[in-house]
Formats: sequence, C-alpha cells, structure tokens
Amino acid sequence: MSSPRRNDILQGTLALLVLKSLASRGKLHGYAITAYIQHASEELLRVEEGSLYPALHRMEQDGLVKAEWGTSEKNRPARFYALTAAGKRRLAQEQEQWDRLTEGVRRVLQYA
Amino acid sequence: MSWSRRLRNLFRPEGLSHDIDREMAFHLSEKADELEARGMSRPDAEREARKRFGHRGTMRENTREVDVLGWLESLVADARYAFRALRANPGFTTVAVLSLGLGIGANTAIFSLVNAVILRALPIERSEELVRVVNTGGNGDFTNPIWEGLRDTPGMESYFAYGSTGFNLATGGEVRNASGAWVSGSMFPALRVRPVAGRLLEPSDDRRGCSGVAVVSEGFAAREFGGAANAVGQKVTLQGKPFELIGVVEPGFFGMEVGEQTAIYAPICSIQLVASEPNVLDRRSRWFLSVYGRRHPENGLEAEQALLKRVSPPIFAATIPPNWSPADQKEYETMLLTVQDAAGGFSGLRSTYKDALFVLLVVVATVLVIGCANVANLLLARAAARQHELAVRLAIGAGRWRLVRQMLTESLMLAFAGGIAGLLFARWASALLVRFFSTRRDAVFLDLTLDGRVLLFSIAAAFLTGLLFGLIPAWRASRVDPQSAMKAQGRGVTRGSRFALGRALVAGQVALSLVLIVAAGLLMGSFRKLVTMDPGFRREGVLLVSMNLANTGWPEPQRRATHRQILDRLRDMPGVKQAGASYTTPLSNSSWNDRIAVPGYAPSSGRDSTVMFNAVSEGWFATMGTDLVAGRDFGPADGTGAQVVVVNETLAKKFFPGESPLGRIVTVVTSDKPGPPMEVIGVVRDAKYQALREENQPTAYVPIDQGEWWGTWIEYQLRSDATPAALIPLVKSIAADMSPAITLEFNTFEEQVSASLRRPRLLATLSGFFAALALTLAVIGLYGTVAYGVARRRSEIGVRLALGAARGRVLRMVLADAGRLALVGIVAGVATALGTTRLLTSFLYGLTATDIRTLALSAVLLAGAAIAASLLPAWRAASLDPTETLREE
Repeated sequence: MSSPRRNDILQGTLALLVLKSLASRGKLHGYAITAYIQHASEELLRVEEGSLYPALHRMEQDGLVKAEWGTSEKNRPARFYALTAAGKRRLAQEQEQWDRLTEGVRRVLQYA
Repeated sequence: MSWSRRLRNLFRPEGLSHDIDREMAFHLSEKADELEARGMSRPDAEREARKRFGHRGTMRENTREVDVLGWLESLVADARYAFRALRANPGFTTVAVLSLGLGIGANTAIFSLVNAVILRALPIERSEELVRVVNTGGNGDFTNPIWEGLRDTPGMESYFAYGSTGFNLATGGEVRNASGAWVSGSMFPALRVRPVAGRLLEPSDDRRGCSGVAVVSEGFAAREFGGAANAVGQKVTLQGKPFELIGVVEPGFFGMEVGEQTAIYAPICSIQLVASEPNVLDRRSRWFLSVYGRRHPENGLEAEQALLKRVSPPIFAATIPPNWSPADQKEYETMLLTVQDAAGGFSGLRSTYKDALFVLLVVVATVLVIGCANVANLLLARAAARQHELAVRLAIGAGRWRLVRQMLTESLMLAFAGGIAGLLFARWASALLVRFFSTRRDAVFLDLTLDGRVLLFSIAAAFLTGLLFGLIPAWRASRVDPQSAMKAQGRGVTRGSRFALGRALVAGQVALSLVLIVAAGLLMGSFRKLVTMDPGFRREGVLLVSMNLANTGWPEPQRRATHRQILDRLRDMPGVKQAGASYTTPLSNSSWNDRIAVPGYAPSSGRDSTVMFNAVSEGWFATMGTDLVAGRDFGPADGTGAQVVVVNETLAKKFFPGESPLGRIVTVVTSDKPGPPMEVIGVVRDAKYQALREENQPTAYVPIDQGEWWGTWIEYQLRSDATPAALIPLVKSIAADMSPAITLEFNTFEEQVSASLRRPRLLATLSGFFAALALTLAVIGLYGTVAYGVARRRSEIGVRLALGAARGRVLRMVLADAGRLALVGIVAGVATALGTTRLLTSFLYGLTATDIRTLALSAVLLAGAAIAASLLPAWRAASLDPTETLREE
C-alpha cells in the first residue's frame, strides 16, 4: 500500500466529496459513494477505500452523517449513510472554502 | 449515534469489529462484482478487490479508532500493557497497592460509618416521605396526651408515635435488658413494614385498657425461641409483666433509631400494665414520645407543615400541664407543631459523633494524600528508569498523548487494585470501629453492609488518587526528549527537576504528617487529662448495684424499710469497706436539678438559681471518695426530722460568697409551693456530675430518706479492696432473701466513668493510629528520596572521597541535605497546624488548640524520625568505595 498513486484525493477534500455525494444522491452505502465520486469526476478521482471508511465513521461521530443498516440493490446487507442538518451546513462551509482555495491557487498560478 | 449503541460498543468491542467487518465485506463483494462485470474471473476479481482495498487490518484499526468510544477499546490494550508492566515489577506493585489499599480502606471504613450513622435512610419503603413532628422550638419530645390529641384529629391517620425504652426480661434477680419501644398502633401500617411470622401491631391493639401484646425482631425471636415461627404465641416478661408475642417483624427493620437494634415493640397503651401508679397515660408532663408521619406523596413538606400548624391549637389547649406556673402554661398553649424531613430516622449516636466522624474523615483523607505522595515518588523514579523505553516509543512514532494515556492507565490500574484491597480492608476495619462506640451495657448496632453510596465513594477515592499520583509523573514522562534520552543509552539521565519535584513531595508529606501528629497529640493529651484528672471521686474499687422493687408490689413504707435493711446488710458483707445508697451516681446519664432560693442571693434568672441535686445516704461521700471539707456528713437519723442539706464548694462559693454556709437555710423552689427550709450541715469537695469535662456545677445533696419517697428503684454503691465484681453473688442472694421479685443490675463505677469517655477515646486512639501511619509513610518517603539522592550522586561522592574528603564530612553532607528537606516540611507543617487545629477546639480538654508543648514535641518527634530515616543512606554514602564508583563511570 505504500506505492504512490496518481489520483489520490487531496488531504481534507475527501470529507467535502463525501458530503457532496450524499447531498446529491441522498442515502448511499460506502461502495456507492466511491462509485459516485469516480463516476461524477469522470474517472479523474478515485477514492482510497482505506481512508473512506475511517472518514465516514469520523463524520458519523461528528454528527455530519447518520448511518443505518439496510439492504443493497443486490440484497446484500449494507450500511447506508445520509446527510444530517449539521452535515448540510458543513457542506456549504466546505464548498465555500474550497471555492476560495481554488480561486486563490488559480490566481497564483496565473501570475507565476 | 445513540448512547445505547455507544455503550453497547464499549462493552462489546468484538461486536463493533464485526459491524466494521460486515461493512467491508459488503464493499469487497460489490467491488468484485464490478471487476467480474469487466471480464475478470470471480476468484481473480475477489483477489483484486482485496488488493485494492489495502491492508485490511490497518484499515479496520483506523476505522475503529475513530469510532465512537473506540478509544476505550484501545484502552483495553493499554490496560493489558499496564498489567504486564506492573506484573514485571512485583515489588513496586505490591508496595504501591498496599499503601493505597490502606489509605483507601481507612477512608472507606470511616465513610461507611458516616454513611451508616448520618447519611443512610431508614430501610423502609419510600423513606423520603417520612417526616418528624417537632414543636416550633425544634423540640421533638411529646407527652401521650399530646400524641392522643394528634392521633384523634381527622386526617392524621398516617402519623405514629415512638418512644425508645429498655425492657427487663427477667422476672427477678439480675436484670436482662432488651432494647424496646412503645409504639402506637399506626406505626407498622404507616411504615409499611411487614411481618415474617404472625401479625404486626394494628391501631386496634393500641386502645386504653389493652392487654399485653408485643412484636419482636427476627434476631430476638431467633435468640430466645430458635426462630420466628416458634416465637408467635409465646409469652415474654417485660418489666415483670406477661406479654404475648403476636408477630415477628421483617429482618432489616431495626426501629426508628439508628445505632439501636430494637428487639421488642409494645403498644403505648400497655405502659399502664407495667406502671406502678394509675393513669400514667394521662400524665401531661412525661415527654417520652417522638412523633413521625408519612406525608402524602403529592404534598410537599410545606403543605404538611401548614396542616400541622392548623391542627395544633386545640391539641395544646386540651393538654395543659396542671402543675406548671401560669406563665409557662400560657407559653404552652401557644405552641405550634410543624414537621421536618426524617428519612434517616433519629439517632443519639448521630448528634454525638457527627463532628468526630468529620474530623476522622479529614484525618484519613490526609493519610491517603500522604500515601499518594509516596506512590507518586515511586512512579517518578520508575518513569526516570523507563526514560529510555519511552524515548524509543516516541522515536518510532508514538504520540505523546498516547504515552500520557499509557502512564495514566497504569496509575489508575494501581489505584483500582488499591481500591479493591481497600474495600476488603474496610469491611474488617469498620466492624472493628463499631466496637469503639459500644460498651458492654450499650451495644451499638449499625448496618454496615456495602451499599451503592459506599461503593461509589471508594471508586471515586480510587479514581481521584489515581489521577493525583499519576498525572504529574505521566506528564513528566511525556516530556522526554527522545534524542538526549536515547543518547544516554538507558543510563538514566535524570534532569534535576524530577528530583526537585520528588523533594517537594517529601517536604509536603512531612508537613502533612506533622499536622496529623499535632492533632493526634492534642486529642491524646486531652484524653490523658480526662483519664488522670481528679474528678472529685475515686473511680476504682466501687461496685454499682441498681435495685428495682417495682415488681414486689410493696407499698411505699415497706419499700423504705426494706431499703434500710438492705443497706445495713450490704455494709456487713465481708470485703465491703463502705457502702452507700443514692438516687443517682455521677456520669450515669441520669441527673436531677431544681431551683433553690437562698436569703440574700438575688438570682439573675431561673437558670442562675438552678443547681444539681442528689439524694444520698450516710456514708455515701466516703464510699465515692468525695471528701468532706467542712461540717459533717449525714447521720442515719437525718431526713426524718428537721430537713438538712450538704452542699459542694461551688455552690457555697456562689450562693454564700466569703462566708461559711454552715447553719444557713436553703429552700427548693417549685411553682406551686415553696419547699421546707433545709439547714446546711456540711460542705463537700466538688465532684463531676454529668460529664468529666464539665465545669464544676453547684450541687446540693439531701438525705435519701428526706421528703417524698421518689420511686421504686435505688442505687447502691459498695467500696471494696478486692475486685468489685467478686461481691456480686452475695449481693444477689441478699436481694433474693428480701424478695425474689427484686431485680438487680450491676456495673463498676470505673466502667461507668470509662463509658462516658467513649468519644474522646475513639478520637485519641484513631487519630494516634493514623498519625503513626502518616509518620511511617513520611519516613518511607524521606528515606526513599535521600537514598535516591545518594545513588544519583555516587560518582560525585566517589570523587570527593578519592580527593580526600573525610567520611564524616560525607555523612554530614547527606544528613544536612535531608535535614534541610525535613526542616522545610516541619516549618510548613507547624504553620498549617497553627491554622487548622482550631477546628478541634470542641474536642479538647485541659489544653488549647495551639498548645505549645504538643507542637514542640511533635516537631521534635518528626525531626528525630527524619534523622533516623536518613542515617542509613548517609552511612552508605560515607562508606562508598571510591575506586569502585570511579570504575563504574
């Protein structure tokens, strides 16, 4: 697992992506979240499973998402995650921060 | 996530891991499906999915770590590690656990007494609803007419009356006492106490003119009849009268008084059965009942108080004591009733020992703190020794917080092991402590079963001590600099600060133990003064005999004549030097006072003219060892003719200042009629009456046969050269000769005096014991620190010796160093003692809280102990072999 990966998700953005995925798709299980991010980014981003689940559990602990056991489309037991009110607020904050960050980075790169 | 789930996770970590596993398994199969759909074979797809997932164990660990309370799971790992570390070091662990166990155990033992005596509610259903009736002056004693007035007021059905008493079970001869109570028929229904056999008293059992029935405790039924079932229907003799047992009360219920195990309950109406006069239930000045009630669960205390206030006036108006002065009667009529919370019942023990128990709690808490300092010092030394290990763990990436947690886990484990040891120790110690409260004649019963409150106390004590001694070493260990510590290659480079901290801890220990030694010195000094003081009588060699003639059924003249005959026969007994008879004896808990009038003395208040009284026979003063200082003792003829009185020095000084009282006239003042004039015929030395520590009270003695005869029982005192108890068989046979219905009770005067010193003895013994424990702990701490200092300076001392320093000089150097440490502690301790011993003032006798002798002696004792503790390490330092220490470098 120590081999470098090209499309690792920038540290700190995983939460934003997860929140956004849940905001647009409602209830999702972990695998669907990875699939969604991969699909929505047109295969540019790939979620590292090793960080997704700790992140999900941390967000659950922080009250950003809530989780419950259900059945997947293929009738397998799966843990579904959904956004809480606090999660929605956090998403708005993180999105704004992200926009400012990318805008800043873009400007710096322009002048360089 | 809900709390219930968090808790479930906490106690079922394997369940949590299972959840995570399931979630991951789901992910893997979805991934494999996807890969399979792209054309991989199933096994390949599964392998690939697993590969992409990465290291499953790490991942699971990461997920678990963040999971709610998941950190507690890693605590289990910490605990396992700590357990291994403690097991690897059995010496350290044993010393730490034992000292903590003693400390926590002592605290738990004292606290379980506090709990049983002060905090615990009565063992009845919904005890929080219990209220006690008191009058507006706060007094809770009532007469039977007041109680009956209250009982017969509509709406008062849940109220009941209770009067503690002692029952004599013997029909004649020596008394067999059982603790008992007169209770109203409403008591058992109101308390919702149930029988284990037969039935309990009901309101219909408690009607005027009732026959003798009684209910007994399970313990009594087992002792006397071999079981509850056998007891029902049996007859017992109470004060010489037969009573039928109708039931046995459920175990656990001990009555309304904490500290007593009430054995027999009889209805109030049956007082008339054992009384020697008619109409005792109508007596309006016999205040012997306490009244309780159960308030309506929806009513607050205020509503109940308002109710009682409303019903009071007619009750008091109908029960005015006829022989009171008009002013007193007026005051009586305006009294009002109110209620207070009474979930804990009442307790003489509670009012006597509340403050003493508080003092002991402070003392044991201090001992625990001193013990904690020792364990902290041990941990500091151990942390220093483990620096290398900690440095390695830091270097390979352990978080500092993680290390602190690790160290704290170890401390808390030690503390909890100490707590368990403490609980075991406390169970034994608290039972032992109860014996301090009891005397042969007055057994104290306390329910010391471990309840939630005591358990919580011990757990809290253990947790706090764990934090107290663990936090500083843990924090310190985490500040290890991995580089320098690793470079030192485990040679244990210790920074000076760790040593300074250890020294500060020891100085604090010395200071605290000095405070305890001073406190113990003061309490033991007071006790010694009480034991060795001259109380105005001689306590040794006197047998006390209480004789009760009530069951003989004799009329008064015959009782008087018999008492004379008995006194004469007692005087003729072989081995008896002197004998006397009296109404009461000093320190017996029974006393008599009255107001007197002396021509020429204008009292400032009723209290100012009140003096203590006793009625005594001729020869009584000689028997008790109270010397006559002027005039004469009573003769056998006194009391039948003109009235006479003997007074003590304090009375003489107060009422006849500067002149001889002999030949002067004293009268007793009662509200209805002035007493006959009594001529003072003698003056005796002052003697203590109610307590050894009292100020001498003005006391008047009248001849035992003078005036109205006061009852059916009488006290005899026999002074002998041999053991007083040897006289008992002969006294019994003399009494039996007169009538087999006479009942007798024996005690020695010495034991009676000693029983009055229970509280000071308890305080002196326990504070002495704990001060010795504190001193031992401080000495161990000091020894450890000095020895550690010497070990640290081995090479320095070796160099000094090699360069020609005299061994005496090295010895002095180490001793001086220890001396400075002790001195700082002693100075701080003296200052603290001066500020805090004031709290003991009410327990002291014959010395002040800042008694300079006690302070000086304690300081000298501690200084001596400090020198003794440092002599061994100092001597070791002085006898070091310089070549050897230098070779070690």
